[in-house]
Amino acid sequence: MNHILRLTFMESKLFFREKQAVFWTFLFPILLIWLFGAMFGDQKIGQMSYSNAYIPSWIAINMLTTALFTIGTVLTEYREQGILRRYQATPIRPGKVLTAHIIYGTLIFLLSALLIVLFGSLAYNLDFPKYLGSTLIAIALSIFAIFPFGIFATSLAKNSRTSAAISSVILNLMLFLSGATFPLEMMPEFLQGVAKILPLYYVVDLLRQTWNFAPITDQLTNVWILLGIGVVSTILATRFFNWGSRG
Amino acid sequence: MSYAIEVENLHKVYKNKHAVQGVSFSVEKGEIFGIVGPNGAGKTTTIEILEGLRKKDNGKISILGLDPEKKPYELRQKIGIQFQSTSIQERMKVKEAIHLFSSFYEKKGDIPAILEKLGLDSFMDTQFTNLSGGWKQRLTLALAIIHDPEIIFLDEPSTGLDPGARRDMWSLIRNLQQEGKTIVVTTHYMEEAEQLCDRVAMFKEGQIVALDTPKHLVNQFLMANYLTFISDDADLELLRNITGANDVSHSNETIKIQTHNLQDTSLELFQLAKEKGWKIDNFRFEVGSLDDLFVQMAGKEQSP
Repeated sequence: MNHILRLTFMESKLFFREKQAVFWTFLFPILLIWLFGAMFGDQKIGQMSYSNAYIPSWIAINMLTTALFTIGTVLTEYREQGILRRYQATPIRPGKVLTAHIIYGTLIFLLSALLIVLFGSLAYNLDFPKYLGSTLIAIALSIFAIFPFGIFATSLAKNSRTSAAISSVILNLMLFLSGATFPLEMMPEFLQGVAKILPLYYVVDLLRQTWNFAPITDQLTNVWILLGIGVVSTILATRFFNWGSRG
Repeated sequence: MSYAIEVENLHKVYKNKHAVQGVSFSVEKGEIFGIVGPNGAGKTTTIEILEGLRKKDNGKISILGLDPEKKPYELRQKIGIQFQSTSIQERMKVKEAIHLFSSFYEKKGDIPAILEKLGLDSFMDTQFTNLSGGWKQRLTLALAIIHDPEIIFLDEPSTGLDPGARRDMWSLIRNLQQEGKTIVVTTHYMEEAEQLCDRVAMFKEGQIVALDTPKHLVNQFLMANYLTFISDDADLELLRNITGANDVSHSNETIKIQTHNLQDTSLELFQLAKEKGWKIDNFRFEVGSLDDLFVQMAGKEQSP
């Protein structure tokens, strides 16, 4: 446990030394919320106020960017630079390194979510989640689904450039088609179907529902699908992850 | 003498390549053991199997009495590994790397002494990315010896270093030997093997083609010995007829005679020079180096 904590602490420290990463993770979402707010700020989105609909959305999006960039692409970089291999030469178990990255990702994500909520309450009268327990469980469940998904998707990349490209494609696809930003009702039926094969759709839906309308026990379809995504991604991520052996 | 490493009939087969074909050797405790050979000769594969990073297909290995495949984590408490091209997180500071990595081991070495010896103590707050190549290499060496390991594996320890830094690295490695460590070095630089290693194993196409002290290897396998001198008026045609001379070549003003009999050849050379009134300067014997042997072995078998 001591090792995991040390690694987690180290990675978090390194994260804050990368000024760009800090900007994209913490400030960029807030800029976008403000931008979208200027467009839709006084509209109702499916019986929700702007902030009640979009703050859960941005929490979901930030979860995905954390999985793809903060955890996934960084691990690909570490593989490419032989950093993972350096760990392999020590007695530390590989699982501990991965666990540390997941915990560190979770911390960064939670911090960014907190900032988003704070901004929402100050600038857009965000309501507190109606079912707080359900929302928290929904967030935990979504992390379980999205983090391994991100690690798996990026572990298919041979180098960090490919990894960043894969991540961008996935992020953009989900950003625009999962209902996280543009309301699905505005889209043709075909695209609404596409939305339902994107993991983020279920995260967004579950978070919005528990935040505004109903406890998680009324959302079992979403719960089962996210559990399924989590299990399958974990298996795939474990299967395809490698420590970067050269020559 | 007890052995730190014993390898018997090691085999490794990749999809389309028999990378290691029945390699056997032992490394004594306290020895600096070199592994040389061209790329693709099976050096890295062999080392990685010894380190427990790769599985073997056949053979028997004992590292400090442990089977690296069965007890990789126990083994890694006792060995230190420096890879050729690994790094650590760019923005990690030297002191952070030292603390993080030493926390992975049960045994702690004398860290202040290691830092002082490697000269890292004045860079403690520097981030990895801001260190020069030589200092990066020193840091990764520090990370490999931070737990006072019994065996240290070094993969191309001086690649990319300038001549000064390379010499520093060698003396650091010799210091480690004096502390009683066993050291296994792979290298491309024959000079490195010659300067550093007690014994050298030459790998070629997955096999060991020669294993001995650097001096013996050269004496045994490298028939080519040279004498060189500078002369403006020597006649190359006459030189070719001297006893023992295999080849006479001429570059710039230096004349080089390859011979299998240094004594007779030089005697006749001086007699001839006196007879013809040639002036001979800078005369010297040149013994072939491991470099020559490497080229000879790596290339097609050529008759001396």
